[in-house]
Amino acid sequence: MRGLMTGPMRVIDFGEVSPLRSQTLWHAIGYGVSDGSPPTLSFMRPSHPYVSIGLHRRLDELDLQWCKSAGLPIYRRMVGGGPVYLDGGQYFFQITVPDSMTRGTRSQTIRTLLGPAVDAFRSVGVHAHLDEHSEISLGEAKICGHAAGLIGSAVVVVGNLITSFDHEAAARIIATPSGREADDYLRLMKRYVMATPADPGHFRRAAVERYAAALGLKPEPGVMTEQELAQLDDLDAQFQDPKWLAGPPGPPAAEWEVKVRAGVVVVAAR
Amino acid sequence: MSETKILGFTIRTDLAYDLDHHLWIDAGSVPVRVGMDPLGVETAGTLSQLLLRPPGVEASQGDAVGSLEAEKFVGPVVTPLSGLVTTVNEKVMADPGLVGRDPYGEGWLYELRPTRPDELARLLSGEPAVVAAFEERIRRYRLEGVLAE
Repeated sequence: MRGLMTGPMRVIDFGEVSPLRSQTLWHAIGYGVSDGSPPTLSFMRPSHPYVSIGLHRRLDELDLQWCKSAGLPIYRRMVGGGPVYLDGGQYFFQITVPDSMTRGTRSQTIRTLLGPAVDAFRSVGVHAHLDEHSEISLGEAKICGHAAGLIGSAVVVVGNLITSFDHEAAARIIATPSGREADDYLRLMKRYVMATPADPGHFRRAAVERYAAALGLKPEPGVMTEQELAQLDDLDAQFQDPKWLAGPPGPPAAEWEVKVRAGVVVVAAR
Repeated sequence: MSETKILGFTIRTDLAYDLDHHLWIDAGSVPVRVGMDPLGVETAGTLSQLLLRPPGVEASQGDAVGSLEAEKFVGPVVTPLSGLVTTVNEKVMADPGLVGRDPYGEGWLYELRPTRPDELARLLSGEPAVVAAFEERIRRYRLEGVLAE
């Protein structure tokens, strides 16, 4: 960060929210911080399972038919990364700061803003580390899904404490060329993605303390502003718009590829 | 074409620059061609995704005309000039790594017909000014730890 900041760090724990709001709430905060709200650390847990896909990714990376049959809504987020299965076994956190407060490359910013989360994991007894791919890991397994982006002029880094993980569902949402790739993906996911069943309340308290200390800010419980709430309505509409969900045009890549975690991919010729 | 090595970076000095957004602008072409400068390439990280809005977009200086993604971080591609986007480079959208491999050549981003000549005149240009500005920026980035030696 560009030295330590000063002032408050707004802390909002939204508790259990709908799948849609588990995405749109923190996007609205991104716009809010962009427009002058204080740096914000927020938390939430989705009430039901769903699927989220990164801004640039193709919708046909997903097995849409299976997602529909399983009743999983799909929402396209404005930050990076691939398609992911999310459910109530995952406790989400988001740190949102003005871009003017960050320094260095985007990679450095991600590492800086994930560092306090690593400390929070360690505070609740999970000996996590930030690996060379900027994944929060335990041994060789990834234990936190993260993504980041600029929303307006605010940097948002999101992650999760995975208290339980449905590997089968997480693998099944992905469209695969054949059963062989599906089996490989599930096998590798079981090896490289791990739940760490720590207490979310303890994790939240540790994260508040660690982020406040790292950023030099005073944590204060807060709520969304009127402007953010108005933005939330717009985002709810946008995220449910089929045109937004459809995402970028263009031909599929020459090879089918799915990432299990950074550095571990399953590849097949089309 | 004129280029020089500045503290390890090969920089073309016959182009104009928006150094805050790390964009080069070939103001000698009509429409003007825009790309990412080598310092921007270095600090952005390995691009995995690049999306440019289709031609026909009218944008004001600083507006996003696309987005890019590196290491799961999504950020905007902005325009250094107000104008009409006339062409986008389909090759870099299919292969974002091209921006890093050939930033001044095949890795160009888009072409734009400027509508505000005054903005063009305010861009960083001229060999002495370009060299001095890049030297200052590279030294600052190194002091801040943004760039490895």
